[in-house]
Amino acid sequence: MSGYQTGVLIILCFNIMAAYAVYLPLVAGQLNLGIAGFMAIGAYTAAYLTNEMGWSLVSAIPAGGLAAGGLALLVAVPILRTHGIYLALATFALGQVISAVFLNLEVVGAAAGYPVSTYASPLAVFSVTAAIVLFVVGLSQTRFTLYLTAIKNDRLVADLLGLKVWGLQVAAFTLGAAIAGIGGGLYAHHFSFIEAQHFSVQLSIYTVLYVLLGGTQTVWGPLVGALFFSLVPELLRAGEAWRYVIFAALIVAFMAVRPQGLVTSTALRGIGRLFGRKPAAPGAQP
Amino acid sequence: MIAQQLINGVMLGSIYVLVGVSFTLAIGILNFLNFSIPGLFMIGGMVSWVLLTQGWHWAAAIGAALAAAALVSLAVEQLSYRRTRGADPEVPLVSSLGFLVLLENLVLVGVGSDQQTFPSLLGDFNFRIGGLVIGAAQAISLVLTFALVVGLSFVLGRTNLGRQIRAIAESRSTAVLLGVDVGRLVPKIFVLTALFTALGGVMFALSYLQVSPFMGEGVGFKGVAAMIIGGMGSVWGAVIGGLIIGLIEVGSIWAFGADTVNIAVYGSLLLLLILRPHGLFGKPAIREKL
Amino acid sequence: MSAKAPLLALDNVSKSFGGLRVIRELSFSVARGQTVGLIGPNGAGKTTAFNMVSGVFRPDDGTVSFDGRDITNMASRRRIGLGIARSFQNVRLMQHLTVWENLLVGQHVRASGLLNLLTPFRLIPNHRWRREVVAALDEMGLGGYADATVSELPYGIRKRIDLVRATLAGASLLMLDEPAAGLNPVETQALTAHLEALKARGITLLIVEHDMHFVDKICDHVVVLNFGSKIAEGPLSVVQHDAVVRTAYLGAEQAA
Repeated sequence: MSGYQTGVLIILCFNIMAAYAVYLPLVAGQLNLGIAGFMAIGAYTAAYLTNEMGWSLVSAIPAGGLAAGGLALLVAVPILRTHGIYLALATFALGQVISAVFLNLEVVGAAAGYPVSTYASPLAVFSVTAAIVLFVVGLSQTRFTLYLTAIKNDRLVADLLGLKVWGLQVAAFTLGAAIAGIGGGLYAHHFSFIEAQHFSVQLSIYTVLYVLLGGTQTVWGPLVGALFFSLVPELLRAGEAWRYVIFAALIVAFMAVRPQGLVTSTALRGIGRLFGRKPAAPGAQP
Repeated sequence: MIAQQLINGVMLGSIYVLVGVSFTLAIGILNFLNFSIPGLFMIGGMVSWVLLTQGWHWAAAIGAALAAAALVSLAVEQLSYRRTRGADPEVPLVSSLGFLVLLENLVLVGVGSDQQTFPSLLGDFNFRIGGLVIGAAQAISLVLTFALVVGLSFVLGRTNLGRQIRAIAESRSTAVLLGVDVGRLVPKIFVLTALFTALGGVMFALSYLQVSPFMGEGVGFKGVAAMIIGGMGSVWGAVIGGLIIGLIEVGSIWAFGADTVNIAVYGSLLLLLILRPHGLFGKPAIREKL
Repeated sequence: MSAKAPLLALDNVSKSFGGLRVIRELSFSVARGQTVGLIGPNGAGKTTAFNMVSGVFRPDDGTVSFDGRDITNMASRRRIGLGIARSFQNVRLMQHLTVWENLLVGQHVRASGLLNLLTPFRLIPNHRWRREVVAALDEMGLGGYADATVSELPYGIRKRIDLVRATLAGASLLMLDEPAAGLNPVETQALTAHLEALKARGITLLIVEHDMHFVDKICDHVVVLNFGSKIAEGPLSVVQHDAVVRTAYLGAEQAA
């Protein structure tokens, strides 16, 4: 594998982790517009632990995930009492605050950025990404993900059917943030340098956009969205700005024509049948 | 010095007022968190800059910039709002974010990412009142902003158009029953918000003499904060919210330096969302009925 | 609790929305195993009464008790665990989920706990939750629909699936909001048979319905509401000759 190919794959991995971080709460209808902030928490926590406290990667990166998840839990408790647009805006504000705090935090380099001495190899990035994908895909086969979808579909009925709506939403939000934190920790150690400006609103917004482009009906949508966002520009070889023009135009077009995104559950069931997988119920003829 | 800071805060805040009012109109009337608004703000500033450097008369350049924003806003209405009704609630928001990214990068392709200097149309003229300095452009912005908001609240409160708009805000289906032609009224609302926003962009350019493809983000997102502080859907709430944000911003720069602005502004926003999510003047939502 | 205590009791319950009194000092009770019809003209407050039993709204005044326990202010989420399940007037199935996914959510109160929550049971062929859903659908003659997405199904089918979902909670009280509305005669007959089967299992039913033939067939007892107040109560054959009831219905042009 050439250096260029590895580089592209690494970018893809970070985009996939970010995508699942946005996806999990979105299954329950919660839009996290501040995912870059949680990545920053993970990145700076893990980097600080390896740089200054002498921790190993194996413990520092999960600690970054825990820190991001912990902060999410802390803010989720008050902000998930509100929902819909208020939640999206609260996460947006939170992302801005986190990024601005690191911009001013002298102990991790403030505006000058923070060099990270311990290095995470491409193999480490690939394996952690694979583990996260497996985890989220496994989760999609449980009642947990089903309940999140149910909450998004009809919050009130979900409550009347006995679901702990609020608890499930907090869990999804926290898990998503923890994944972002792990991704951030890896990012810091793979690129050996972080700066607060990287974890910007734009990063959060782009992630939300490609997750929606992929579609949130199935667990594969975010993966396809991240693939699309990471690889298609490489194939097009267009200038940086044109990439985003094309990407944004596609988003607008998709939301207008096919708001459910590229991958839908109906399409997946169709593919399943195509490959001769038995319909789950004997004699099902929907 | 405090008085000067207060004045600067109010001047800056008046820009947020216009954007905040646009956000609040979109959310209050159409229940649409329209993130294309920062893009329209940028269109207002950038298009007038481009045309001015082409040698256009200032009035023609500003008029054309407003028209461009109105046209883009109609496209947003068609693609992000009309086509996505009935989809998941995050879809219109995400689509309008797509528009923001699209507009920024289109302009970037056209003129590059550099910050451009906006020609000073009003010269270097300042009012001086007992030691306080008030820039002419800022003073004009402030007066114009308040004239526009007063005009808007007159239109909403006293005219037939305003009654129709309030009917839609109350309930779309009731408005239809009352004979309001929603299909024709909604585009008008989009044009109205575009004019407000783009004028904000023009005034920002005139006051601070700089434009860039990303000029909408900083201001536009603070406009969102202004809207929330005032309570979503309340025009006068957004006015007060915008002024509060302006004051917080100027105050934090004065007290702690420029890097802390986002902590102060978005920190207060976050705190408000936690403590009083319906804003200072909005009403809390009631539980959905079966 | 003594055997005589009613399963569900509303005692002097009142509810207003913005100054409009929707329920006025309403009292009635449902005995264990009984099938009670809640009838009355449109806007009489029937669905509001349901909503207060299931916890969507809290009464302004009065108490709701279930199985001898005061549940007036209990969180809505906890009531299904006590044994109160309901269907919805306008069929509130999760539109974008498949039928079997909807029914899985309906099983939740019997499948709570972290292990149930986190078992990737979809990967396990013929998992018991799946078998139970298929069996419940087969019993209703709906076996073919398990994998269909709800939004693609005709109204009559959705209506019956809503009922199946309500039964899967294993509740002792089932509240059905206009179960026969919009069904054709064949579907209504199937519904009647299904409800008879539920009654035979000892499940208590509280039914809001406008179709009086249906009420006559199914209910042992009816409570008649008008303008939020109870105006009559008793077997339908008796109540339908009541002068007050006739005026309420004919006045509102709702005579069935």
